[in-house]
Amino acid sequence: MPSDRFRAKNENSRKVFLVTFLPPTIWLILFLLAPILIIIVYSFSQKVGLINIEVNWVSDNYWRAADPIYLKIFAKSFYIAGITTFLCLVISFPVALAITKIRQDWKLIILVLLMLPFWINLLIRTYALIAVLRTRGFLNSGFEWIAAHLGLRFEPIQFLYNDTAIIIGLVYIHLPFMILPIYAGLEGFDETLKQAAEDLGSSSMQVYRHIVFPLIRPSIFAGCMLVFIPALGSYLTPELLGGTDGQLIANVIERQFKHANDWPFGAALSMVLIYVTCGVIAAWLLVAKRKES
Amino acid sequence: MTTFKNKRFSRRGFLAGTGMLAAGISLPSSLLKASGSSTLNFYNWDTYIGETTLSDFKSSSGIDVKMDLFSDNDELFGKLRAGNPGYDLIVPSSDFVERMIIADMLSPLDDNAIPNRVNVEPTFLDVGFDPGRRYSLPYMWGTMGIGYRKSKVDGTPDSWKWLLDSSKYRGKIALLSEAGDVLGAAFKYMGHPLNTTDPKIITQAEQLLIKQKPNIKVFAPDNGQDLLLSGEVDLAMEWNGDILQVMEEDPDISYVVPKEGSVVWEDALAIPKGAPNPQNAHKFINFLLGAEAGAAIAEFIQYATPNVAAKKLMPEEYKNNPAIFPSDTTLKSCESSIYKGEEAVRLYDEAWTRVLAA
Amino acid sequence: MLFGKFISAIKSSLRNPWLNISLLVTLLFLYTPIIVLIIFSFNDSRRNIVWKGFTLKYYKKMFSNEILLEAFLNSIAIALITTILSLVLGVLTAILLWRFQFPLKSLYQGIIMIPIIVPEICIGIAFLVFFNWIGWPSDLIWPLRLAKIIFAHSLFCFPFVAIVIRAKLVSLNRECEEAAKDLGANAWHVYRDVWFPHLKPSLIAGGFLAFTLSLDDFVITFFTSGPETITLPIKIYSMVRFSVTPEVNAASTVLIVVTILSVCTAIFFQKENLKKGSFE
Repeated sequence: MPSDRFRAKNENSRKVFLVTFLPPTIWLILFLLAPILIIIVYSFSQKVGLINIEVNWVSDNYWRAADPIYLKIFAKSFYIAGITTFLCLVISFPVALAITKIRQDWKLIILVLLMLPFWINLLIRTYALIAVLRTRGFLNSGFEWIAAHLGLRFEPIQFLYNDTAIIIGLVYIHLPFMILPIYAGLEGFDETLKQAAEDLGSSSMQVYRHIVFPLIRPSIFAGCMLVFIPALGSYLTPELLGGTDGQLIANVIERQFKHANDWPFGAALSMVLIYVTCGVIAAWLLVAKRKES
Repeated sequence: MTTFKNKRFSRRGFLAGTGMLAAGISLPSSLLKASGSSTLNFYNWDTYIGETTLSDFKSSSGIDVKMDLFSDNDELFGKLRAGNPGYDLIVPSSDFVERMIIADMLSPLDDNAIPNRVNVEPTFLDVGFDPGRRYSLPYMWGTMGIGYRKSKVDGTPDSWKWLLDSSKYRGKIALLSEAGDVLGAAFKYMGHPLNTTDPKIITQAEQLLIKQKPNIKVFAPDNGQDLLLSGEVDLAMEWNGDILQVMEEDPDISYVVPKEGSVVWEDALAIPKGAPNPQNAHKFINFLLGAEAGAAIAEFIQYATPNVAAKKLMPEEYKNNPAIFPSDTTLKSCESSIYKGEEAVRLYDEAWTRVLAA
Repeated sequence: MLFGKFISAIKSSLRNPWLNISLLVTLLFLYTPIIVLIIFSFNDSRRNIVWKGFTLKYYKKMFSNEILLEAFLNSIAIALITTILSLVLGVLTAILLWRFQFPLKSLYQGIIMIPIIVPEICIGIAFLVFFNWIGWPSDLIWPLRLAKIIFAHSLFCFPFVAIVIRAKLVSLNRECEEAAKDLGANAWHVYRDVWFPHLKPSLIAGGFLAFTLSLDDFVITFFTSGPETITLPIKIYSMVRFSVTPEVNAASTVLIVVTILSVCTAIFFQKENLKKGSFE
């Protein structure tokens, strides 16, 4: 559904436009533009000594970021974030659908139950996840107990300290960011549209494909964005759950701002991340548009 | 129709209200404005102080200490380098004291205001990272080494070889996750000084680590001792204080400093430039260096104290514990980590990135 | 009585078994570590890695741990205000992008996403430098002290809200709006009775997201916090050097219990009100 082409002609819509335009824009200018400008300026600077940064408008940092080793890390990060997003989508869709079908008064409590784990601090949740998945953790101990009763030998499964663990951890953390938008999109869906289509002879499958899906697609897209992008930026999960090669781009960037003390290089890597992410999103949107036509 | 939105917010308010009720608190006094010349903003590691130290100081001097927390030297440095947001006293580690001195972030100490300075062990009074102790005074110190599970390891693994150059304990090894720490250990193993900056040697260390990677389970940021405790690994490169803590919980765990040598670390007290209450900071430093306060702190934290007067008051098991106070021969082989200059920092970081990506 | 209602709720949704199985499995997946966390809050071990024995002493410690309680209070306060701010900004932005065309609109849309894309530590440092540069005062009283943190939080929270609400606006049926106007509704009635019910789920979703993001944020909070503004994540992360003791688990357990009880109570009262009074 294309957005309305409102040329702010009459007085009323002009007012509405200003009301909706000014506050976010002022906020963005005040609190986003300035910090981003700082990052951009830094990315073209170089560090001098311990704490000084000389703004000399060189692109050295960007050339350094183009080194194959960093590109490899970028690629791995996108790959892992992509798988995380896909898994979240697959899990979230039926769950969101299930919530819409629950009785009205229980909906809220189910939603709260879903969100509650995420109000617990990430660090201790990750520790708890480790306690479940580690070699002598609850999962392995449980399997061992079952195997013992069946008289089989059991070799503990290495759930942790590899890339799979990172993905499990990332899915665990980002699940509500996919469930909530999709639920919001599905809830209150105009059932009459579905019924009209069915009356006109469409099968259930067709109804979903041609009626439900197009209207839900923005919510699905929203969910994917809200998982993919933060997943790219997470460094705690790979650090705690990953193996010796569990290094994602956010870990490298974090090191630049901390131990390596190279803010300009960190800024440059961040800018590259922004460009590539925007590129990926733009490509996705283009593909979606092409599919539509 | 009842605006559901309001209900939700009142639910939130209800939540906050019940939360407070459940917690049974009365509004903490620190939430109301508390300022004036009888306060001190102390930026410290969590629980890195005796149980009653702050209240003892308040009763003896009337100064109210507000302790804020940070979790990492790098974070402390990153936050303060843009300007002091109002801290009077900070507790950086030795190589960061050095960085801060170079970056002109610290105020020199007024020795006349710290008579208890005489309690500091003489070896700590003149150190490479702060000659003559003009800007800092020692708080606690210790070593880095190998924590291990006695029942799973042959004898005493007193060499870095078992962690860095052998597949004997394949898959049961944890190393630290900071470039400087791990590369430093590699340098010591190869017989070089801890603070090597020669690119050729750095590359050699990098190769050694890459070769050893298949045997290492994980590079643990701060939780190597937990992995040891849970049986995930049997050997962990860790700081002595961390291993001490888990030794308390599990007598099967022990600690050794490798014979090739290791790092001796120190946490120091320093006053950042722009501190609002420097006189109070001096008073507090003096208090901490006193015999009773020092002993109370050492008793609670169980790290090695550089305070001779405090050490005298401590029980024998504390003084004779090799994990807390290493023998002289061991100490001789250990070095302090110094700031090696930005070029070396970059070389280390790039080598580390390559080790991780291999 | 409550249990009976629970059973009938399950029955009514048993018409769709696969969906509900997926819901249950997901809840199981989400809660297994949480249950472990709750169990470990009773663990008699300072390091809290292996189970050593049952004790309530960490609950006692938690209730008398002033710093922990202050941090908790700060975090909740920040999260609440951030949620409100983010909802307002997010709704405005969503409507703006959905309804109007203006020059450089795509660029504007991209800019909205930037707070989410930039790695947190990068934005945290940028905020640090920015606030220092404009000389933000650091000795304000509570709650103004928290303003820096709140502004920073709402910056990266409101894009989430905007995206969720915008997605929902797409399916808003303009015909309902037209019909309402034909029947004599003014703009305010249209917002209240047509837009608001349609958007309600996305408002709730967006609000939950903003609250969650703000409550658990560490990096940005660390770099925008000054003396005496400690939040729960900062306290917990600072415990890592020595020991993340069961006190933290105890605090989290209390949070879980209090939240569930509050919501149940609120639902109960809502139903009582509906029974008693107005026919909606």
